[in-house]
Amino acid sequence: MIQVKNLHHSYNKDDQFAVKDISFEVKEGEIFGFLGPSGAGKSTTQGILTGLLQLQKGEVTVAGYNVKKMDNKMFNKIGMSFEISNVYSKMTAYENLDFYRKLFDCETRDPNELIKLVGLDGKEKIKTGEFSKGMSHRLTFARSMINNPTLWFLDEPTTGLDPAIASVIKDIIKEEKKKGTTIFLTTHNMHIADELCDRVAFIVDGEIRLIDSPRNLKLQYGDQLVEVEYIKNGETVKESFSTVLEDDKKKLQEIIAHYQIETMHTKEATLEEIFIKVTGRELV
Amino acid sequence: MKLWYSFTKELKLSSKSFYFYIEIGMAAIFLAILLLVIPETFTTKTTEYVYLDLPEEVSSYMMDAMIENDLDGEPEIVELKVDGEKEEFDMYVSDDKKIVMLNSAEEVVELADKERKFGAVISWKDNALSYDYYMQGYESEKLRNLYKVFHNKNADELMENFDSQEVVKLSEGFEGLTDRENVLPAFLTFNGSLMGLFIIAAYVFLDKKEGIITAYAITASPVSNYLLSKVGVVMVTSLVTSLIITIPIMGLQPNYLMLILFLLCSGFFASNLGLVITSFYNNIMQAFGVIYMIMIALLLPNIAYFMPSWDPAFVKFIPSYYFLASFRESILPDGDMTYVLMTSLGFLGLGVILFLYGNYRFKKTLTL
Repeated sequence: MIQVKNLHHSYNKDDQFAVKDISFEVKEGEIFGFLGPSGAGKSTTQGILTGLLQLQKGEVTVAGYNVKKMDNKMFNKIGMSFEISNVYSKMTAYENLDFYRKLFDCETRDPNELIKLVGLDGKEKIKTGEFSKGMSHRLTFARSMINNPTLWFLDEPTTGLDPAIASVIKDIIKEEKKKGTTIFLTTHNMHIADELCDRVAFIVDGEIRLIDSPRNLKLQYGDQLVEVEYIKNGETVKESFSTVLEDDKKKLQEIIAHYQIETMHTKEATLEEIFIKVTGRELV
Repeated sequence: MKLWYSFTKELKLSSKSFYFYIEIGMAAIFLAILLLVIPETFTTKTTEYVYLDLPEEVSSYMMDAMIENDLDGEPEIVELKVDGEKEEFDMYVSDDKKIVMLNSAEEVVELADKERKFGAVISWKDNALSYDYYMQGYESEKLRNLYKVFHNKNADELMENFDSQEVVKLSEGFEGLTDRENVLPAFLTFNGSLMGLFIIAAYVFLDKKEGIITAYAITASPVSNYLLSKVGVVMVTSLVTSLIITIPIMGLQPNYLMLILFLLCSGFFASNLGLVITSFYNNIMQAFGVIYMIMIALLLPNIAYFMPSWDPAFVKFIPSYYFLASFRESILPDGDMTYVLMTSLGFLGLGVILFLYGNYRFKKTLTL
C-alpha cells in the first residue's frame, strides 16, 4: 500500500536533512506504527506521504499513486486524522462532516453515523468552536473516516483523550483494520503502538533504526523474567528470575514448592524500553 | 460542483465573520462621508482683508466696481474681532473671492499678524495705485512673483495677453463629474479593491491558524478550489459594498455593466495579490508590514488623481492608477468604455497569473 525508497527531505534544501535515506514498505491491511521522539522526522515523512510536503528525493508510492505526480483522485482512498484538530469552528459538527463529504468522488459515510461512532451524538448541531479539545479531536478523527479510506493516516489518535474515549478510539481502529483498512500510525505513545501495530518502525534523527513486529522486538531485545513475591520467615520477599537460565529456573521451582507465593508474573520488556535500548534516545 | 460547495460554504462562513461586517461598515461610513461631508461642489473662494488708503474719488470708483461685481449687488455685514473688540465690516462676495473692507492699515496688519489672514493696503502714490500685501510667509515663490508681475506690468496689457490665449477643446458636449462624484473612484478603489487584498489575507490567515487548509488538502478537491472560493467571496462582498456606495451617489448615470465588470476584475486582481502575499507568511502579524506597505503604494495614485499636476512616470506603474481611471470612466456620462474593457481584461489576465503563482506557493507551503 505504501512503498518508500531512499527518501530524503531537507526544509532548507541543503545537507541538513530532516529525513535521511529512509526506505520501508507498508503492506495492505496492516497497522504500521511510525514511532519516534519529537523532531525525529515522523511528521515530515507523513507530510510527504500525504502530499502536504513536496517530494524532493526518493521514490514514494501511496495507494498505487506516485506522489511525484500527485493526483487528487488519490485522496478518495486516503483518510487523515491530524494530531491537532482542524475543523471549522464556526460550523456545527454535522456541517463540518457534511461539507467534507462533498469534496470526495467516492461513496461517503453518513455524518450522523460517524458523530455517533466517536461518542458525540447529541452534539451534531453545536458549533465546534464550543467543543472541548477532546471533542474537536474526536470530530477530526471521525472526519478522517468520511470517505471510507483504504489507507488511513492517524497522527497521535488518542492524545489528549480520557482513557474511556481513548479505548473507544482504539476499538474503532481495530474494527477498521478488520475491514481491511491499511493504517499508518504516527505516535510517540508506545503503549498504543504495542497494542495496535502489526509492525513498527523506530525513527530517530531522520533515520529508521529498526522495523519489526512488537512481538519479535520483545523476543529479540527483551529479557524474559518472572517476578515473584513470596513469604519467607514471615516477611515478603521480591525476586526476579530468568526463564532462560537453568539456575534461575531451579530456584523458581524451589520457591514455588516451599513458600507461599503472593504474586508472580512474567515481566516483558516494554516497547519503550526496547526503543531506548536500540536508539539510545528517550521518547520525549 | 466541489468549487460551488466550497464557495457557498465560504460565503456562509464569511457572513458569520467579523471581517464581513467591517466591509459593510466601511461602505456605510464612506457613503455617509460622501453624502454628509463632501459637498456636491467644492468652493474655492478666498477671503481678502483690504483697506483703501485712497483719495475719495478713486476710492468711490473702486467701491462702485466691487458692488457691481458683488453677487447680490450689496455688501454683507460680517463681525470680526479687532484689537480685542468685535466690530462689523462690509464684505463683498464675487464669483471668485470675498473682500472684507477694513477701516485702517493697522487693522489689516493686526488681522494678518494675529488671525493669519491675507491682507492688502491699497494706496495712491506718484499718481498710481500702490499695493502692500500682508502674507503669511508660506506662500509659494510663484504666487509672490505673480503679484510682482501683475503690478509691474500694464494691467491692460496683461488682460489683453490673457484674452488672446487660444483654448482648444478636444471634445465637445463633454459632461464632467461633480466634486462629490469625482471622489467616488477613490472610495471604490479603496473599498472595492484594496480592502479585498486585506480581507482575503485575514480570511486565509484565520484558516491557517485553524489548520483548515491542511485538512482541505487531504481531500479529492484541489487546493485551487479552496483559493478560488476565497477569491470569489471577496469579489462578491466587494461588489456588494461598492454598489452600496455607488447607487445612492450616482443613481442610474453609470454604465453598471462595465462598472460591475471592472469591480470584479480589479477585485480578482487585488484578492489574488493578497493570496500571493499570504503564501509567504504564517500569520497576519508577520504579513502586516508588507500588506501595509503595498496598500500605501496602491494609495499613491490618489494624489495624482486629485492633483493632476503631480503625475510622475512611476505612478503609471501602480495598478491602482488604472483602477481610478477606469472607475471614473465607468461612472462618467460619456465615459470611455473601451478603456474600461481593456483595463478589465488586463487585470483579469494579471489576476490569473497571480492566482497560478499563489496556487503554486500554497501547494508548496501547506504544512508551514
